[in-house]
Amino acid sequence: MTASSKQNISLDEWEGKMSEVPIAKSDLNQLIMNYLIIEGYKDAAEKFSEESGLKTKVDLGSIEERMQIRFAVQSGDIKGAIERVNDLNPDILDTDPRLYFHLQQQHLIELIRLGHAEEALEFAQEELAPHGEEHPELLRELEKTMALLAFDFGASGGNGVAVGGLLDFAHRQKTANELNAALLAAHSQPREPKLPALLQLLAWTQEQLDEKATYPRINNIVSAVLSDPAAEHNTPGAGTGASASASTA
Amino acid sequence: MAEATTGGTQHRDYVAQLGSSDPDEVYGALRTIKNSVIGSSTKKALYVRLDVVAAVSAVLASAATGVASRIQATAIVGSLARSRTAGAAVAGGAVARGVVAALVRQLEAGTDARLVEASERALYALLAHSETLGAAGGAAEDALVAQVLGIIGSDGGGGGGDSAAGARAAIRLELAVLIVARLCVSEARQYMVANTGVIDALVRQLARTPAHVRLQAATLQALAALSYENGEICAALAEVGDGGVAAAVVRLARADDAHVRLHACRVAANLSRMRVLAGGDVQAVVVPALVRLVREPAGDVDAVQALGYVCHEDADVQAAARAAGAIDALVGRLAAAWAAAQGDFGDAARFAREARAAFLALGTVVSTNEESRRAAVDAGAFGHIVRALGHGDAGVRSAACLCARYIVRSVAICRTHAADAGLLRPLVGLLEDGSSDVQATAAATLVNLLSDFSPLRADALRLGLLPRLAALLDAGAPAVRRNALWAVRNLLVNVDDATRAAVVDAVGMPRLLALSEGADAALREHAVGALRNVAADSAAGCDALVAARGAPATLHLLAALAARPDTPADRPALVHALYLANNIVVRSDAHRAAVAAHVPLVQAVVAHVESRAPEVAVAALWCVSSVAAAAAGDDAAAGLRLLRRLGVPQVLARLLADPALPLEVQDRVKGCMDSLGCTDGLGAGASPDDTT
Repeated sequence: MTASSKQNISLDEWEGKMSEVPIAKSDLNQLIMNYLIIEGYKDAAEKFSEESGLKTKVDLGSIEERMQIRFAVQSGDIKGAIERVNDLNPDILDTDPRLYFHLQQQHLIELIRLGHAEEALEFAQEELAPHGEEHPELLRELEKTMALLAFDFGASGGNGVAVGGLLDFAHRQKTANELNAALLAAHSQPREPKLPALLQLLAWTQEQLDEKATYPRINNIVSAVLSDPAAEHNTPGAGTGASASASTA
Repeated sequence: MAEATTGGTQHRDYVAQLGSSDPDEVYGALRTIKNSVIGSSTKKALYVRLDVVAAVSAVLASAATGVASRIQATAIVGSLARSRTAGAAVAGGAVARGVVAALVRQLEAGTDARLVEASERALYALLAHSETLGAAGGAAEDALVAQVLGIIGSDGGGGGGDSAAGARAAIRLELAVLIVARLCVSEARQYMVANTGVIDALVRQLARTPAHVRLQAATLQALAALSYENGEICAALAEVGDGGVAAAVVRLARADDAHVRLHACRVAANLSRMRVLAGGDVQAVVVPALVRLVREPAGDVDAVQALGYVCHEDADVQAAARAAGAIDALVGRLAAAWAAAQGDFGDAARFAREARAAFLALGTVVSTNEESRRAAVDAGAFGHIVRALGHGDAGVRSAACLCARYIVRSVAICRTHAADAGLLRPLVGLLEDGSSDVQATAAATLVNLLSDFSPLRADALRLGLLPRLAALLDAGAPAVRRNALWAVRNLLVNVDDATRAAVVDAVGMPRLLALSEGADAALREHAVGALRNVAADSAAGCDALVAARGAPATLHLLAALAARPDTPADRPALVHALYLANNIVVRSDAHRAAVAAHVPLVQAVVAHVESRAPEVAVAALWCVSSVAAAAAGDDAAAGLRLLRRLGVPQVLARLLADPALPLEVQDRVKGCMDSLGCTDGLGAGASPDDTT
């Protein structure tokens, strides 16, 4: 589709259409509360609840327990995290072999990070290998993790091999997020907050619309300022793939 | 969590510490053992071998044990009960040592809420094993049901509270409801639970708890367990509440949460099968919802099973399933299961579960509709079936056979795609399978595949079908014997003399005659049907049949078969017997007169002319017509005198005067009357073909 065949929507027209869409304040508050609860900002959630008057059916006290568990994982204290989870709900790790494996895997990674290779090897033999035997679909991940021992990454970090990513602290975050989602699900709460999904939907919708129209785009989701298409017209490659299509014509 | 040890010494020490007089030491050991066994099958098995159940039982039995230690001990029992290998033994041990009774006591009002929750979790895990229910005994079970109903009936939180107490109460309620679901393992237990009045409580729960999806899913799970295959309870569910449960489950079949949708669909499937739920809702809402669940990559195999269940023997629902894309979804599921099972890290057990469920559901969806069968073939079902016929798991092989059986009900597919698909050789091979289920379903598939219009018949005979079928007639499993004989019967339709002789030689005419008099009604039906087919096309067949026992004994047998009372179980065999007599009269010059003059046989046939079952009356009338026509040219007066002496003309006149007489019987009566009034040769005796 060429630039000339695209529909042009001015800033005024766009703002007019947006103002016609009814969005209740309570819905916006719910979105924010949803984010605060799931991400574990207990104090902020309590304060927000007071200030907005929004009552939530979620047990805000459980956020504290969940955040302690999450913090334990993020700090590398996997054993402590597992004990806390088992105190809170012993069924979670007993009925989710993948999650349990990932926690054990993270513990192994922490042992390797600390340079306790012998202890790590013994732990892998006694704890991880039997688990992998019972759940063959996890063996591939186990294989990757054992490569850390084979290549002696240790505390010195990776040497460029892909499995070195397991030693990154981002992997702790990934494990923490997985455990957090399981704890939320056990309490009938959504596993993920809605706000990030909404932002992803915004980005996707704009990409779709870029092919069909020029319109006031949000180019910065932090500022959320609507760009003026009149100011951006005839500016090739103005930050979007759709604009580039004008140059291919 | 226990540290890595050598030789299990440390674990043995922990178990020993459970007998300590120091409560702190006991608590520490309990907590360590709990954290060891949760999530680890190896540690569960290790501690069971170290007899931890006995040690934990002693802790729970002691009045001195505090709440904190009880919670740990209870969690250990629950976790051990989840062991795949040792769970049943743990359940048995727990019952024997009074642990179940102790856990039930821990549910009593006034108990620490955390201990109640832990007890519910442990009981739920224990109830997965039949040992728990069977050996627990009436008193313990009554106590359990009473405590659980108390939790469900109390309004503590009700699943809707906005406090910490409310949220934990919702969890306890969820566990109580799940326990109810686990209790409903038989019809007797369904009634036992339903009679407590729990249905009302569950239905109220369903209406109240949109915020707690796990509780909603658990409630639906309990309703599904209560109503499964139980028409009375399904009818009761339709009456309860405002508009009944039916409207609620149809609405929840569209819920956001996949578990809620799945269990709502399971309840709806139960109601549909018991004819309590309107077909429109099932077709428009439930079936599409199930198909969407089947399509989800990590979708529960329960969704596949529920889809097959709701489609069973319901052509309209099957059509709705096809329209919703069920066939492609199920074939896609098979393809994904094969792909996941490949390589070094494939999970064979998981594949077997997936494949069994998918084949059974696919077979059910296509079982009554030609278009559905064609859609399955177009989607590539045959490729998966042929591959599965050689799989190591007997359940997979059997399910694949069943799926093939329903697809090849199609005449067109038998003539075309089935021949190219390579089904025949593995199916014939499966007649010698080690599993009787596989043998039975393979034989049943061949019944459909080798009908008289199939191009595969000659190939099947060359592959050694006959000796295999003959061997199966001696099999231990009744279903194997029946399906093998059924296949023999179908092989005798529209065949040349040489093939007929080969089939009869392989099976043995004396054996067929003996089976026609046996105790098994289904075997009698197929045996007499096979004899009918032997005599249908030529005199040689009739002569071989009569020669086996000699004419007097054969006629005596025919008379006995025709004289059997007309009951639903025996009706098919009776119809075959009447046509058998008719076929001998029509085809065999040598034996026609003897049959026509055999008074007991003719009397028995005439007795069925006024049968209320049209198929029996028509068969009897054909036989009478043939006997009347056979009398002409030999001793016309004697044959007709026998029929007149038996009052046949009056019977026929009476029948014709009956305005309610079915048309097909009316036509035959008229033909019979013509035969009785006609003394010039045959003309009314050609037997209808047997294609069943």
